[in-house]
Amino acid sequence: MAEVKSAEESVLTDDFLRQLINVGEVDILVGVPTHNNAKTIGAIAETIQAGILTFFPRERAAIINVDGGSRDGTPELVASAAIDDARPNSKMYTLRTFHSISTQYASSPARGIALHTIMAAAELLRAKACAVISPESTQITTDWLATLLRPVYREEFDLVLPTYSRHRFDGILLTNLLYPMTRALYGLKIREPYALDYAFSGRLGSQFLTQNAWHEETAQAGSETQLTLAAIAGEYRICQSFLGTKEHAERHTADLVPAMRQTVGALFSSLETNFSLWNARTGSQPIPTTGDERKFSLEPLRINRKRLREMFSTGVAELESIFQSILSPATLVELQGIARTENVPFRYSAELWVKTVYEFAAAYHKSVISRDHIIQALAPLFRGRALTFLAENINGSADDVENNIESLCLEFERTKPYLLEIWKQ
Amino acid sequence: MPLKQEVPWYKLAVIYQAHVRTFYDSNGDGVGDFQGLDQKLDYLKELGIDTIWLMPFFPSPLRDDGYDISDYYSVHSSYGTLEDFRTFLKSAHARQIRVIIEMVLNHTSDQHPWFQQSRSSQDNPRRDWYVWSDTDTGYSQTRIIFLDTELSNWAWDPISKSYYWHRFFSHQPDLNYDNPAVREEMWNVMKFWLEIGVDAFRLDAVPYLVEREGTNCENLPETHGILKELRRKLDEQFPGKMLLAEANQWPVDLRPYFGDGDEFHMAFHFPLMPRMFMGVKLEDRKPITEILQQTPEIPPSCQWCLFLRNHDELTLEMLTTVERSYMNDTYARDMDMRLNLGIRRRLAPLLDNDRRRIELMHGILMSLPGTPNIYYGDEIGMGDNIKLGDRNGVRTPMQWSGGWNGGFSAAEPEKLYAPLIQDPVYGYPAVNVVSQKKTEHSLLNWIARIIAVRKTTSVFGAGSIEFLYPANHRILAYVRHLENETILVVNNLSNAAQAVELDLRRYKGNILIEMFGKNIFPRVGDLPYLLTLGPYQFYWFRLRRI
Repeated sequence: MAEVKSAEESVLTDDFLRQLINVGEVDILVGVPTHNNAKTIGAIAETIQAGILTFFPRERAAIINVDGGSRDGTPELVASAAIDDARPNSKMYTLRTFHSISTQYASSPARGIALHTIMAAAELLRAKACAVISPESTQITTDWLATLLRPVYREEFDLVLPTYSRHRFDGILLTNLLYPMTRALYGLKIREPYALDYAFSGRLGSQFLTQNAWHEETAQAGSETQLTLAAIAGEYRICQSFLGTKEHAERHTADLVPAMRQTVGALFSSLETNFSLWNARTGSQPIPTTGDERKFSLEPLRINRKRLREMFSTGVAELESIFQSILSPATLVELQGIARTENVPFRYSAELWVKTVYEFAAAYHKSVISRDHIIQALAPLFRGRALTFLAENINGSADDVENNIESLCLEFERTKPYLLEIWKQ
Repeated sequence: MPLKQEVPWYKLAVIYQAHVRTFYDSNGDGVGDFQGLDQKLDYLKELGIDTIWLMPFFPSPLRDDGYDISDYYSVHSSYGTLEDFRTFLKSAHARQIRVIIEMVLNHTSDQHPWFQQSRSSQDNPRRDWYVWSDTDTGYSQTRIIFLDTELSNWAWDPISKSYYWHRFFSHQPDLNYDNPAVREEMWNVMKFWLEIGVDAFRLDAVPYLVEREGTNCENLPETHGILKELRRKLDEQFPGKMLLAEANQWPVDLRPYFGDGDEFHMAFHFPLMPRMFMGVKLEDRKPITEILQQTPEIPPSCQWCLFLRNHDELTLEMLTTVERSYMNDTYARDMDMRLNLGIRRRLAPLLDNDRRRIELMHGILMSLPGTPNIYYGDEIGMGDNIKLGDRNGVRTPMQWSGGWNGGFSAAEPEKLYAPLIQDPVYGYPAVNVVSQKKTEHSLLNWIARIIAVRKTTSVFGAGSIEFLYPANHRILAYVRHLENETILVVNNLSNAAQAVELDLRRYKGNILIEMFGKNIFPRVGDLPYLLTLGPYQFYWFRLRRI
């Protein structure tokens, strides 16, 4: 028997539900999760509005802002993108009313709740295609709306993930762990499995919505990754669309662990529920990709390699007891050996990195210690791998960088039997 | 006639547009006539019609269905005699039904003796009754209206070896209104019919009377001057008579046709009509409210004439390119349905024969500010024949019964001026007056009912309007008000049931009485008034403080 939720349990407040009634059925929905994004969100909402009106002028469309307790007027800025007859001063011409509504779910942001709310709204409004746009995507252009939504709306894809042109050293977590491991395990060459700008079909959204995973901590943290994996598991049609250049974002070292919780944690967690899926797959297949060819940019970038090496070495030394619970003795010895070297060039090889990651995944599966601690413990090791990646590619061309990533992917695929072996131990 | 005088009669009227030729053939020659029309006046009276607008019935070569007049002082022999017209008019007036006749001021047929004389020689006294030129380059900023058939507004006349000006078909030369003799003669024509007793004129194609170099030759001040002069004479010599303008223009360009209440009494609201169809298709009130927001106030004695369909194509001229493209793609997928910048289809086929949508559209037509005009046959949901040329597909014989020729004529079917609609859905065996009269809930009886309900109040014809803007854009809601009477109208433009919250606080304490069933609804309080409406449903509520 299906669970019946009371209004108190629903992610939809009565006020938001009232707004949804007014919006009514839509063809296209654009969800914008926010939290104190007043500096950027006005321009982003305007671009979304212009993109919809340019590429989908006849469709019933709406923007839904799900806000995590902003205090800077963010929801009001999104709402100002609405066009209706009660305020006939819009600069944009529209055939029909364009709704832009907002709801607040908490006083602090939680991406899982935001996505849950967007999906619930999309299902209630019977949206055929739904895009989610990050409030940090300041490089958004109107073309994004067509690029993300058309494959769903016109070509019956269920999930459209982005690809970007990135700086070769942007997104190292993505290129050295998320992409190659997802690819090796699930057999699809998805470049951005953890996307913040993407689109999905109504049927995928509805199916994902019914998964009773929203209350789990991991799902709250990595719901976008979960969505990608649900699409793979359900054999939905997935494609990638090129969105342009992803600007290099300055990250603080303190950002790494939360980011890993959201992404690596979600990926590790997914292995539990999808064992039968990844267990059976070997190799990897490309997926349909549209748009210009993605390529790495090579501008010089200042990176404090000394600091990375220190953080790696300190981490290996200080977390030895934790590593003893997670890693095999051979792997730990090798890591300690690297950490101790001082006068030779630092090198954390692809083989060792893949083995390390798989051992962490197995440890996560077995919950040898707190899962959150496992993710935190991986952070210093990732810094070591990042340092090697930087060193190996510092003088490389875009093709060299791509080839190195491809080699790493193949290593993940080749070593997959090892993961299966330790998974079952 | 002892009709109500407090509010001008044309404000409270319900107009029925008919063509003598299409309505009823009394003598079995295959063409409708005035005696036939006379015989059907009781039908119109029963329907609730109090005004008939007749399309041109004058002698004509009929190359534009009578809009090419060759004699303004007589009746086309196919339709009867002038005496038949007088008899019909008397019968109509006896039933409190007024008659509007068509007056084509802008142009004549090229077969009209005036034009024949004008073209005969450069020295003919009537030479200057038309607009002649040695070249075809004048007035180059003027658009061509009949894009599908005409390449230029100038046509070469091989007889007088010069070009003449025509805004419509090339066989319809424009009269030269700079000539005082033309102006005087056209007033004489109008006076002739007014003296016979007609109640009003629908003046055809009025924006185009005067041409001036360097302009688009539409809506010129000189044209307004001529129309004002006609109105002045009308008021002086025939008080109580009415002028209705056909000016397919944007609201801001239409407004001058009312002048200060000294030009036209009424004008068709052309831009509103396609937007009503857009609103229902889009399930969004925005096109309707926006065009009405752009519609200027008109003098108190003036009135808009509203319509869903008429004898022409559903004109898309007063739409943006995007809107026009949307309308064509949604209402006229078959290219045969398109003509010029419009769609040549009747109401019922346009609305997929969906009774709920047909009712909703009539509900809006009857409740927005203005006088409604019903095109003959739409009250029974007649279909069209897009395979007939020009606009003839919406001008087929009226379907009176399921019998011989649909009850229209006793003639052999091949003698009919046009074939009857015969397809299984809209053909006369399925759609006709007799069978609908026998069915209590037929469209015909429903139309009679809504007209009767409209006529229980003067608010719809003469009251003010205030739009409510509920957040649910599928709901078109407005309050009509006149003196101490207030009516709330709520229309659901959607194919699905809708909930709507209306801000009616200013009417707090009133109870709502639904005007069709006369049932009471809850009293208005401080909270938003919640209503639910079924697909395409509409409500008319009388607000009463009891």
